[in-house]
Amino acid sequence: MSALAEQLRRLQAQAGRTLSPSPRPRAAAGEIDALRRLLGLRERAARPASHRAEVDRALPGEEIAPGLRLLEARAPWPALPEVVHLAASPAQPLARERLLAFDTETTGLAGGTGTRAFMIGAADWHDGALRLRQLYITCLGAEGAMLRAFADWLREDTALVSYNGRCYDAPLLATRYRLARLANPLAGLVHVDLLHAVRRRYRGLWPNCRLLTAERMLLDVLREDDLPGAEAPQAWLTYLRGGAATNLRRVADHNAQDLRSLAGLLAHLAHLEANG
Amino acid sequence: MAARPLPVPDPHPLAPQPRALARDGARLAERIRRKYADRITGALHLPARPAQYAPLPPELPPALAAALKARGIERLYSHQAQAWQAVRGGDHVVVVTPTASGKTLCYTLPVLAAAMQQRAKALYLFPTKALAQDQVAELLELNRAGGLGVRACTFDGDTPGDARQAVRLHGDIVVSNPDMLHQGILPHHTKWAQFFENLKYVVIDEIHTYRGVFGSHVANVLRRLKRVCAFYGVAPQFILCSATIGNPQAHAEALVEAEVRAITESGAPAGEKHVLLWNPPVVNPDLGLRASARSQSNRIARLAIGAGLKTLVFAQSRLMVEVLTKYLKDVFDHDPRKPARIRAYRGGYLPTERRDAERAMRAGEVDGVVSTSALELGVDIGSLDVVVLNGYPGSIAATWQRLGRAGRRRQTALGVLVASSDPLDQYLVRHPEFFRDAPPEHARIDANQPLILFDHLRCAAFELPFVAGERYGTVDPQAYLEVLGESGVLHAEGDRWEWIADSYPANAVGLRSVGEGNFVVVDRTEGRQTIIAEVDYAAAALTLYEGAIHMVQSTPYQVERLDWDGRKAYVTRTHVDYYTDAIDYTKLKVLERFDGANAGRGTAHHGEVHVVRRVAGYKKIRYYSHENIGYGPVNLPDQELHTTAVWWQLPQPLLEASFASRQDALDGFLGAAHALHIVATVAAMAEGRDLQKAVGSGDGAWFSTADGRGRGQWRAGDGGVADPAAASEFVPTVYLYDNFPGGVGLSEPLYLRRAELMEKARGLVAACDCTAGCPACVGPILAADEQAERTPKALAARVLALLADA
Repeated sequence: MSALAEQLRRLQAQAGRTLSPSPRPRAAAGEIDALRRLLGLRERAARPASHRAEVDRALPGEEIAPGLRLLEARAPWPALPEVVHLAASPAQPLARERLLAFDTETTGLAGGTGTRAFMIGAADWHDGALRLRQLYITCLGAEGAMLRAFADWLREDTALVSYNGRCYDAPLLATRYRLARLANPLAGLVHVDLLHAVRRRYRGLWPNCRLLTAERMLLDVLREDDLPGAEAPQAWLTYLRGGAATNLRRVADHNAQDLRSLAGLLAHLAHLEANG
Repeated sequence: MAARPLPVPDPHPLAPQPRALARDGARLAERIRRKYADRITGALHLPARPAQYAPLPPELPPALAAALKARGIERLYSHQAQAWQAVRGGDHVVVVTPTASGKTLCYTLPVLAAAMQQRAKALYLFPTKALAQDQVAELLELNRAGGLGVRACTFDGDTPGDARQAVRLHGDIVVSNPDMLHQGILPHHTKWAQFFENLKYVVIDEIHTYRGVFGSHVANVLRRLKRVCAFYGVAPQFILCSATIGNPQAHAEALVEAEVRAITESGAPAGEKHVLLWNPPVVNPDLGLRASARSQSNRIARLAIGAGLKTLVFAQSRLMVEVLTKYLKDVFDHDPRKPARIRAYRGGYLPTERRDAERAMRAGEVDGVVSTSALELGVDIGSLDVVVLNGYPGSIAATWQRLGRAGRRRQTALGVLVASSDPLDQYLVRHPEFFRDAPPEHARIDANQPLILFDHLRCAAFELPFVAGERYGTVDPQAYLEVLGESGVLHAEGDRWEWIADSYPANAVGLRSVGEGNFVVVDRTEGRQTIIAEVDYAAAALTLYEGAIHMVQSTPYQVERLDWDGRKAYVTRTHVDYYTDAIDYTKLKVLERFDGANAGRGTAHHGEVHVVRRVAGYKKIRYYSHENIGYGPVNLPDQELHTTAVWWQLPQPLLEASFASRQDALDGFLGAAHALHIVATVAAMAEGRDLQKAVGSGDGAWFSTADGRGRGQWRAGDGGVADPAAASEFVPTVYLYDNFPGGVGLSEPLYLRRAELMEKARGLVAACDCTAGCPACVGPILAADEQAERTPKALAARVLALLADA
């Protein structure tokens, strides 16, 4: 490490970014931390090389571009009328072939230009079944390819379906397309956000209107061994930094379930609306 | 500098004025000088300056020219025309002209013209929200006058969420502040893409306020702005404005890191102006006590308002604003049925209250205003005839800025600087030439200060990935990126450093050293629940303790309960005949030494210190008599600051051998601290407030202050005055510490440059023209010390010599 980096580290340590209200024995704490770091390093260094080779890096799907993988699956399509009419959607009824449910997994919730999607999942009506397609990246450089691949799935008449996507996923992708200097393919598309429809019906009746609640109450979905959404960023980072893919695979499962639930909720709500 | 005419001593102090109008500052000046000749220690006369006009530029869009004419502007002042030319020629420009010289048009014309002709966008940055709102109001008026179709809007913390989208998409001129740019705009720049793609001008007004650590932060925010602009393929032009400072062009260039053309010759007319230095009379010759500045300012303001002159009094604290307002109201506003002639203006009032005061001042409905430095900046309050400074504001630049509030166009104006008992004030009035000749202070920044740089590189990396070889300002950021990579904040891949953490770094970086939340003052009189004021965190302990009399427009309220954690003070209306003043003190204790070395015959160290500011109690002071009618206890948490410091000390035996008494040694240390503080502030490119000085024993056993009395006062750890001769151990120590929680890294470079600093401090003292000491070297001294056998200057020089390497 450079001398400047060394000096910076020292300055930061001195500046004591974590302040406590009373004097504390900082020297000791600092030394212990330094010792811990050293010990940690020694532990890792002492590990036999073969041990590292055993790290489970197996990834599902196929690599369709360097660092970009695609997972594809089919699921039974929930009973969906040919034309969907939802109060939440713009006035016109939507042919089911136009619908594309999507959901992203991101590096966090902080917002702004520093948060990115590492996985984009989409579900649509295809050949009489629900087609699940998930794009995800294994290096940062593949983000552009992922964004282009997702753009290819969208047509001018595509109607997006999401859960809180109007406020979260869509603006986040808009930012990513902008940063990649690509046109935003989501701009101007019809977008049905099921969260709004669920809120209208169930606010105050349920403890909350999260997707997990909605799918449990309306679809009897039971998730087992589900990776909580909040752990998704760490799962991906672990893989990115050379760690195991175990949890990243669970993220993919989680995302796929989100997509199936989206489709299920859409069908359920359409049914409710059709029957008053 | 060229922006203000050089003051000259008045050759005919009592000569009758040719145009002695009834309502004229000249006549009042003459009256005062005749009646109070013994109190006037100096008089400056600034001659009138005729206007220099230039025609409206022919290439001005016709609708804009028409709008100007509709508002009575048929031609421009020369500096406005120069600014137009320079900006249209593509230069970055800084305009440095006095208050009320029509600075705004310098940037408004090119900005509006470009908005109308090319739909070009502009970003305005002001240091405060109030100034931003003024600016938008003015733009809207001009826009209406000419039907220009240009949309100007503020974007700050008060902008409602649903309005933000409209501002981003449709605002032609977005008026904001550096803090909002830093936390709200840059980290979301993609939402502003259309705005950035068309951004042509960035206007930054009041750049003299962006100095020291705050200025260094702002310079980094501008680096990030330029970086984001480059992403959108634009390189906006900067138009900057500054009040008079010593180095406007250099400061502007340091802020934007580019060549900047300076326009410093004002073409605006100015009436002639008299400036008087006023020393309160001695009221107790035995003790050398003078009457208070407050009583004198009150007297002068009464005379002026009584003579029909619009008068502004600047006070140094919010409390003093309220006290002076009360005194003036007692005279001029005793009939409650009539509209108020006297208004107070300060931070801490609710925005609506301030707006209303500004409007009333502009409309000429108010005859007297009492304000803090809040009116130093360009808030538009209309014409004024007399400005009274209740105490020296602490800098030459701020003094001229405040005096600049008086005097418009053809009228003769008067400014009076009333000295307080503070040694610095006393020195100034004893030496009017110091005040007359001193150049305004320089504004300094160091955008490459490592910790500040580090914070902003983090923000910059969040906004856009860094690419290998990319420079940031004048810096190669590689080492910083590596540190960020090691801590998992960035991820290096190929030649790019990408943000990877789940955090929003701008929220963790404050540009100003304030924070921790404002206190609100809640009036509970007769079951009400009304918020009547806000008090910032730093002032809360000093003004909102239980028992305090808190005044709003000089109406007293008593604080009944202070909810420190909830940041609320509950008050009720009261009718007492006293006000309260907090008793506070500061002490410093070394927690850890990082490094140490010999320094001359003493030692120098660098390390972590703990600075405690405690409000021990308060005094009740009766109005008018100002007698102390009682004390009250205060039970508040200490204001604590963990920070880094550099310090010097000399061994006790050496001190005993070198100085006749401990008092002498202590005075020498205080003088040495003053000189070191001056050279260190320059060396660190900091402001006086960023870097603080202290003299004490280092273990908190005792500390020493020079506040108000000039000589070193020895205080025991509990704050009580003690006798230095009685202490068992006596190792006075000079400390310079970062005045920021956690430190901002000013003191380590000072430690590394300790030998150079010591030499510079010695040189400063040796080369100073004064005989016994002055504010420019060892600090202001009392009149008695000017003839003293052992002058403070000599004592300080001895301390510095002992600490210097041979």
